[in-house]
Amino acid sequence: MIRTMKNCCIRYFSKGLCLLLATALLVGCGQSGQTETKTLRVGVAVYLQTDTFIDAIVQDLERLVQAREAADGIKINLNIVDGRGSQITQTEQIDRLIALDYDVLCVNIVDRTSAAQLIDKAKEAGIPIIFFNREPVAEDLHRWEQVYYVGAKAEESGVIQGQILMDRWLNANPSMDKNGDGILQYVMLEGEPGHQDAMLRTEYAVQTLTGAGVSVERLAGDTANWDRSQAAARMSDWVNTLGDSIEAVISNNDDMALGAIDAYQSLDIPPEDMPVIVGVDATDPALKAVKEGLLYGTVLNDAQGIAENMLELALLLESGQDPSQSDLSLTDGKYIWLPYQRVTLRELQAEQSPES
Amino acid sequence: MSNSTKKLELKGKSITPKQVGDMLLNNALIIIMLLVAAYVAVTQPSFLAPSSLINLLSLTAAYLPVALGIAGCIVLTGTDLSAGRAVGITACVAASLLQASDAANKMWPNIGTLPIPVVILIVVAIGALIGAFNGFFVAKFKLHPFIVTLATQLILYTILLLYVQQGNNKGMAISGLSDGYRNFVVGNPPLLSFAGGKIQIPNYVIYAVLLTILMWFIWNKTTFGKNMFALGANEEAARVSGVNVFATTIAVFALAGAMYGWAGFVESARIASNTANTGVNYELDAIAACVIGGVSFVGGIGKISGIVIGVIMLRLIFVALPLVGMDQNLQYAIKGGIILFACALDMRKYLVKK
Repeated sequence: MIRTMKNCCIRYFSKGLCLLLATALLVGCGQSGQTETKTLRVGVAVYLQTDTFIDAIVQDLERLVQAREAADGIKINLNIVDGRGSQITQTEQIDRLIALDYDVLCVNIVDRTSAAQLIDKAKEAGIPIIFFNREPVAEDLHRWEQVYYVGAKAEESGVIQGQILMDRWLNANPSMDKNGDGILQYVMLEGEPGHQDAMLRTEYAVQTLTGAGVSVERLAGDTANWDRSQAAARMSDWVNTLGDSIEAVISNNDDMALGAIDAYQSLDIPPEDMPVIVGVDATDPALKAVKEGLLYGTVLNDAQGIAENMLELALLLESGQDPSQSDLSLTDGKYIWLPYQRVTLRELQAEQSPES
Repeated sequence: MSNSTKKLELKGKSITPKQVGDMLLNNALIIIMLLVAAYVAVTQPSFLAPSSLINLLSLTAAYLPVALGIAGCIVLTGTDLSAGRAVGITACVAASLLQASDAANKMWPNIGTLPIPVVILIVVAIGALIGAFNGFFVAKFKLHPFIVTLATQLILYTILLLYVQQGNNKGMAISGLSDGYRNFVVGNPPLLSFAGGKIQIPNYVIYAVLLTILMWFIWNKTTFGKNMFALGANEEAARVSGVNVFATTIAVFALAGAMYGWAGFVESARIASNTANTGVNYELDAIAACVIGGVSFVGGIGKISGIVIGVIMLRLIFVALPLVGMDQNLQYAIKGGIILFACALDMRKYLVKK
């Protein structure tokens, strides 16, 4: 009994195999016949796709590609790979993209110290490489002419963050200065150690305040790796130890700022007793929090702008044109800088009123 | 019940379709993977481009040393969870000793760049020491390797976190490696450059081949290798027939450790940026590869050729599937499914025997 059953299984199994092979062949033939139109193949390697801001860029990019395909009748093949926060994984993924001879690489590098190695590989294969959002050092970018960077200047976001706090402090001091000592006591939620955005935002946010004559005191500060849940954990520690003496929470990005809000909410602290919390990126959840009055302000990091410029640059590079001769505004022939914008409830309302 | 099954077994031996079926089933994983590869190759012809195949070969070579090491532990019915961290620590040590003398954040500014052979000796020794430490606790206190190496893994992680904060490094990635070191590992020997330098096989592929031959020799042609299999198959029998269980266990783990040391040396230059997360979870890929390649957790069973096939198959899946547009998030489920399937197939052989 058992044997016959097995025999049957085997017979079907082998039949199944033949079928599978046949379909594979058929599918293959079908596809090879259609590859007449020229396809632009873009490999996009992101450091971590669960990062809300990165995900926004990826979605914008996918949307733009579809629009572009429909408008110009070209075919763009977008291959997005997620490095999952490991440079090893990302390096292997980029090796693959190079081995498959992609036309352009867009890299949101995990660890910027390994940029040199990736640039050398791309150079050897003759594939232009565009870094975005995470900026390699200038020396590395100058290793080869076909290397570009699209992103925003991190120090600018720090400055704007500082300005948001400063305006709030100068205009509505009594409610913000909880202990009334005239000193702004803050805690700092930092992005991953060694990331230039984290370091610059931290530095410039505080510098803008002190530069404008606001006296500040850092109560605590730690890295939460851009991550919402890690930030919530840090923040609830601080709320428990520092309590009401925290007058501002400065966060290097929105995910962590939302984490801080999560911490306050889980401790059942009402919004009016929360300190002034500011983030960077203006992600959708953050904008919602601004509207609800939970997040005081954030800085718009232009995800769509990054995606648009990157796609344009990729198209130019693939067609062999010199980007510095185009409409794109390149600095030093290598950088496309996107401006940051401040976002608080006031800006959101101003944005809405002309429409209504 | 068992009697009737046995009868069936006996009868089955004379019938060819059953044997064919068994063969198909025993090699089912490999067959499925080859089918996947064939499907991908047909839908995406670029998969078979020389550069793509070289890439697959290089990936296999990079992951092979850890698998070769860990296989010995599995043959002893054990495992080694500390492999990944051991790779991490040796990678960071190798990188820190071989930074270019003008690197931006040189970890140890006073030592310059050490000669490569010296560094190889250092990292292989560190790896072997870690392995011997594991082996000692396994052999001396009869602890299960799972527990011992779990503990070692955690201890190594702390050492690694502390190490990357030493000197001028302050927890940053260790990079800026000397050109000599990079060339030694990822450079291309002129002999292996084909098609006018377009297709180049990196040096570490050659090292992996040499390492495989060395391990084949150790496993098959030395007393130590024979002792290892005897010990894995039946510890009591091995002890009675005069195998030094204590020394053999330590040696197997130390040999595995030496392999991790070598893997760390290669990974460091291959990735060119080393952090406390380098090597994390390497042991899981290596164990999966061994299981796919027929190294049995029952003990005393395994072949070097199987391990090589296992590593190739695992890499093949991860290289091929994204090509046909498979969601990256499915990777883990597929990996898990493969491991479960491979183990079940493996155990099935022994269940039938009983």
